Amino acid sequence: MQLLAQDLVNGILAGGILAVVALGFSLVWGIMNIINLAHGAFLMLGAYLTYQLFASFHVDPFLSLPISFVVLFALGYLIQRFLINWVARAPILTTFLLTFGLSLLMVNIALLIWTGDQRGVTTAYSGANFTLAGVTVPWTKLFTLVAALAITGVMHVWLTRSKTGRAIRATSMDIGAAQLSGVRVARIYAIVYGLGAGLAGVAGTLISLSYAVNPGMGDPFLIKAFVVCVLGGLGSVQGALIGGLVYGIVEAFATQLDITIGTQHISGSGLQDAIALGVLLIVLIVRPTGIMGKATA
Amino acid sequence: MIPGAVLRRIGLGGITGSPIAFVVALALMGLLLAVPLGHSGYLEIVFRNILMYATMAYGWNLIGGYTGYVSFGQVAFFGAGAYCSALLSAHGVDNLFADVALACVVNALFAVLVGLPVLRLKGHYFAIATLGIGLALADIVANLDVLGASGGLAVHHVDEAHFYVYYYAMWLVALGAILATYFIARSKLGFAFVAIRENEEAAAVLGIDATRYKITAWAISAMMAGSAGAVFAPANGFLDPSIAFSVDSNVFPIVMAILGGVGTVAGPFIGALILAGANELLQRYFIKVHTLFFGAMIVLVVLILPRGLVWLFGLRGGARTWLKSLTAFRA
Repeated sequence: MQLLAQDLVNGILAGGILAVVALGFSLVWGIMNIINLAHGAFLMLGAYLTYQLFASFHVDPFLSLPISFVVLFALGYLIQRFLINWVARAPILTTFLLTFGLSLLMVNIALLIWTGDQRGVTTAYSGANFTLAGVTVPWTKLFTLVAALAITGVMHVWLTRSKTGRAIRATSMDIGAAQLSGVRVARIYAIVYGLGAGLAGVAGTLISLSYAVNPGMGDPFLIKAFVVCVLGGLGSVQGALIGGLVYGIVEAFATQLDITIGTQHISGSGLQDAIALGVLLIVLIVRPTGIMGKATA
Repeated sequence: MIPGAVLRRIGLGGITGSPIAFVVALALMGLLLAVPLGHSGYLEIVFRNILMYATMAYGWNLIGGYTGYVSFGQVAFFGAGAYCSALLSAHGVDNLFADVALACVVNALFAVLVGLPVLRLKGHYFAIATLGIGLALADIVANLDVLGASGGLAVHHVDEAHFYVYYYAMWLVALGAILATYFIARSKLGFAFVAIRENEEAAAVLGIDATRYKITAWAISAMMAGSAGAVFAPANGFLDPSIAFSVDSNVFPIVMAILGGVGTVAGPFIGALILAGANELLQRYFIKVHTLFFGAMIVLVVLILPRGLVWLFGLRGGARTWLKSLTAFRA
């Protein structure tokens, strides 16, 4: 029982981060129909930015959250404005390939600047934790979850209430009608991609607190973002949150799996990708629109 | 993906792409026969890899280019084929024909089995599910002791003096993929694939059993990738999950097919030749930044040549059409 409770808490804590990772990815995909393979690279840049600020200027990682967002937003905005917008309406393959190329570029630039060494952001409170009813909770992970929930909440309010947020949602519903109402689609696209990158940067900052920072760190998160997105429903803020939490919990339990058949030993921790695929396939077949998704084309 | 009417208008008419490009590709294949005569082990491996990637690019082209189902899991079939050879070798069978035959049978079955649920998905969802298949298979193999788990296992070698056997085997497999694509594209099968790509509902109305044809395309493409893997494993001499299911073998073929021209017979080969060649040169002279150049090259190609190189062979209207194509998909 104790162990189950601990797994559940671990899953929720990990799920909060996944929700932020998936949020930006989901917006870009849902609104522009672009699968952003550079999402993991943006996340990695956010983590390095946090690391560098911490190592050089002793900036607390939680304080560098807004810095990560602004810097990555600007980068994403410029990339969409001057590169991706040229092919924004091409078949998915085109943008898929383009963002793949961009991702290679960014990862290799990071490799040149920071080398392939593992870096870590170790604050004074890094190891601290508290125990509640036998369940251990690290403070950093709890703060991370709170930050993740706050970010998701802010995004939801901004998308539904602000003028730009409404324009973004209008563009995703009907591009032609949005244009007729005076929405400048090229600008909205740049903002959405900037948001996606900014949120990836924020996620990178949060991740740098609990995981090692290296140039290739984005890839596993990119794949999980895919699954969380499909799980929760495309382009939906609540969907990303619920998808992230569900996925985090499933993974926390699945990695505890430990069976031996004959001489063959099977341990769940080595099968993370297989588990992700299993969840994905079941969701795709049972409920292709995701938990929170509406039936759309 | 690309409406047929548009293809004809820009000069890429016909189901096989530009016939000139096809002849050029065959001529280049003929020239590649001479590579082992140079007695350079290095060149032999470089060109064998080019042929290997080309074969996988043809596999991808059939399902992604002709049928319009963009797969990101072809590496699963490549790896499965490679492990077929490894298993045969572990049981004392050292025969490349047996390797390729077993890889084809296993991959066709595997493709049908996986294809039944996965080919129901469309667009992005299909792409992601296939991406998952490649990753999941790598995970599973890394945990199976029979297949050497993550430590890997050795695969037989013919003696050094006959190393060229692998080169010619790979050449034959690549030629098989090119010719198979050519004949499939011109047959009823190819037209059914393209019909599904252009409009699956309309194809169904015309009496095309979409599910059956999609699984056929997927199975043939799996056999191509698997054959490449089956020859690769013994040629490489060693196999582990990170080699058999590498990101390179998954992504290179796709980039090659797109660079050369999706849904054409010559495209994947020409793309493979140029891309793998460029990658090899970059790796040789700029070892530290070659992947960076590679990324930049992909970005440029997507923006400058969105239709692939084969398109240039049949371009009507010259530079003006090309300039027009650059802004065709602007937001």
